[in-house]
Amino acid sequence: MPSRIKRALLLALLALLAGGVSLAQTLIIAQGTDAVTLDPHDSTDSPSATVTSHIYETLFELTPDGEILPHLAESYELSDDGLTLTLTLREGVTFHDGTPLTAEVVEGSLQRFLNPDNAFSFLFLLEPIQEIEVLDEMSLELRLNEPFAPLMSNLTHSSTAIVLPSAVEEHGDDFYRNPVGTGPFKFVSWEPNQSIDLERNDDYWGGAPELAGVRFLAVPENTTRMAMVESGEAHVAVRVPPQDIQRLDALDNITVENVSSVRTIYIYFNHNIEPFTDQRVRQAVNYAVNNQDIADFVTGGAVRPSDAAISPGIFGYTPVGQYEYDPERARELLAEAGFEDGFSTTLYSPSGRYLQDIQIAEAIQSMLAEVGIDAQIETLEWSAYLDQTNRAAEENNVPMGLMGWGTVTGDADYGLFALFHTSEHVPAGSNRAFYSSEEIDSLLDQARTSTDPAEREELYAEALQIIHDDAPWLFLHSETQLVAVNDAVEGLIIHPTERVLAFDASLNE
Amino acid sequence: MFGYLIRRILTAVPAIIGVVIIVFLMVRLAPGDPALLLAGEFADQATIERIRVRYGLDRSQPEQFALFVSGLVQGDLGTSTRTNRPVTSDLARFLPNTLELAAGAVLVALLIGIPAGIISAVYRNTWIDMVVTFIALLGVSMPVFWFGLLAILYFSVNLSWFPVAGRGTLQHLILPAITLGVSSTAIIARMTRSALLEVLSQDFIRTARAKGVERRKVIGKHALRNAMIPVVTIGGLEFGQMLAGAVLTETVFNWPGIGRLLVDSILARDYPVVQGAVLLIAIAFILINIVIDLLYGVIDPRIRYD
Repeated sequence: MPSRIKRALLLALLALLAGGVSLAQTLIIAQGTDAVTLDPHDSTDSPSATVTSHIYETLFELTPDGEILPHLAESYELSDDGLTLTLTLREGVTFHDGTPLTAEVVEGSLQRFLNPDNAFSFLFLLEPIQEIEVLDEMSLELRLNEPFAPLMSNLTHSSTAIVLPSAVEEHGDDFYRNPVGTGPFKFVSWEPNQSIDLERNDDYWGGAPELAGVRFLAVPENTTRMAMVESGEAHVAVRVPPQDIQRLDALDNITVENVSSVRTIYIYFNHNIEPFTDQRVRQAVNYAVNNQDIADFVTGGAVRPSDAAISPGIFGYTPVGQYEYDPERARELLAEAGFEDGFSTTLYSPSGRYLQDIQIAEAIQSMLAEVGIDAQIETLEWSAYLDQTNRAAEENNVPMGLMGWGTVTGDADYGLFALFHTSEHVPAGSNRAFYSSEEIDSLLDQARTSTDPAEREELYAEALQIIHDDAPWLFLHSETQLVAVNDAVEGLIIHPTERVLAFDASLNE
Repeated sequence: MFGYLIRRILTAVPAIIGVVIIVFLMVRLAPGDPALLLAGEFADQATIERIRVRYGLDRSQPEQFALFVSGLVQGDLGTSTRTNRPVTSDLARFLPNTLELAAGAVLVALLIGIPAGIISAVYRNTWIDMVVTFIALLGVSMPVFWFGLLAILYFSVNLSWFPVAGRGTLQHLILPAITLGVSSTAIIARMTRSALLEVLSQDFIRTARAKGVERRKVIGKHALRNAMIPVVTIGGLEFGQMLAGAVLTETVFNWPGIGRLLVDSILARDYPVVQGAVLLIAIAFILINIVIDLLYGVIDPRIRYD
């Protein structure tokens, strides 16, 4: 290349860089999809929750270590009968429009969340709250009919964030794209399917962040997203595909972070469909599948084989054991159950919903074939899959289905109650296995209403053990989050609830 | 010609009504329930019911259709159930982006395809023709996805000539326009070649040659113009197809276009957006066809519209 052209290119590049100086301290995060809404109450997806978590704040905070700390609530008191939670709010907190945070604002926000007409998906998190009373400017009481132990955990969930009722009213139908929160970053702009820009909130009560801003890009194609972090167009790229881990990690300026997630992947057995009514068959399937091999070879080591129905880091988690890979034992159990020659069944899997989902189903198919179980794979696009797996017992034809469940409140109640309690059979709840056990129902009920954390942990440990032995699922693994991060980034938090948080991050470029 | 235009537009009306009905029914025939999707895998029945009411999904299908049509005649395509954005504003935002990309791609296709076709026709059955044909075949058979990703890895990551993805400057447009235009380039090259060969074998060309007209002039002036009708037709149809079919390119290059909007909406069973987008694409397609027909008259003055 002639040097003149080279120089011209260099100048053009410099001009580009100069134009970008104001962005120099803006952290760029490439997400897999665009946020759906910036109304925290209405959001159900990680990309939306990630963005709203920078703008809005919750009353309580779930730390990455699983600890629950007061956040917008400065202190709290739970009455001895467990029926009243008194919250005292933090002084000096203001919304981005200057409105101070008061008990009345919090009440308005909670009432909006709880209003059935708004049809928010996560309403159930706070449904036990019967009454909210403002005591004075900075304190309020939440009253329940019966004790509800997960209340504070549920108040850490990003969907319960405190919004400003006057802003909801002012913006009406456009509130979802005019967020006004109390968080460390303020909303600037949103180009749908492209980018969302946030800027530093200099008046943040916890001290202004170091970054000038955060930009979220929506980049659905994996290879493109990785190319962006490689070329420096993004500092952070989420959801690194397993086949790219080694290559990206080998680059000088990029590290692939591997952080555990609270999402558990499993295959449930439909307890209304033969032969999964038989515990021995369910156990046999568990013995027949080598989930360590799946972790190592199908997901590139990016997952952790399950030793309980919920993942580590969740309150109430106790490792209760794994079914060691033992095809011999599987055949014995099948023979005991009267299936010496195996049987045929169908394994349902969504396509592209979970990390390597179809590949996992295929690996399981071949492992089951080893012990004589002939499993046809039925893969469905997510919408059709939900439709099939959410049907009531009499019209539900899914014998085995691959699912994932993120216990995003960090409390076992969220991860167990909706999946194993008899009252939660689909479509009423999320118990797609139609699992039903009086013992489990009673343990989960007690753990939900007990106010003693130690007692709750014991109850959950017992429940997890029974679930393990009863094998209503083929236990697989908990996912980990693979995030490619440029080495110039410091202080980034990759939260187990599948959010990348830049509150304390900085860039050393 | 004005009368012709009016007639063409009027005959398009039944087609558009057909599209409205078919789209309305098809999107509802697909398995899956938008309320269930919105509620998520963790939702209980009560939540799903509440969502159904919120978006009017609890109403009967004839009722939903009546609402859709009455909104339509008022220019209101409803609100997305997935993002709560008004459908018209989404279409107004994303359609120009796709038009920009498709125009870039067609430009690439014409600028490369026509000269390649001419060269191929002029050097018919020589090694030059074979090379061009081979490259054209490669262009048609190459998956867009694969080509786009390779282009990103080579030109953006390795050489840093272009940004990896996104929309904004002319530089952002180059790689996606080439990627989207590759197969059209090949088709146009092939089309130009065969049309030109056909014209070149006709009597008036022989006459022109016999009169001693320069070869360059015979091809450039006498033959090419007569060969352009099928090329323009194909070019226009390719352009129309790109409006809905650019989704792969849009995805690879993170281009916020209408194809991606449509696919996202189909996956989310976002009925209002699917209806609106398909309707808009159908109308655009019909308009493009009318424009092509009018172009015939420009290319060939013998064609009259009455």
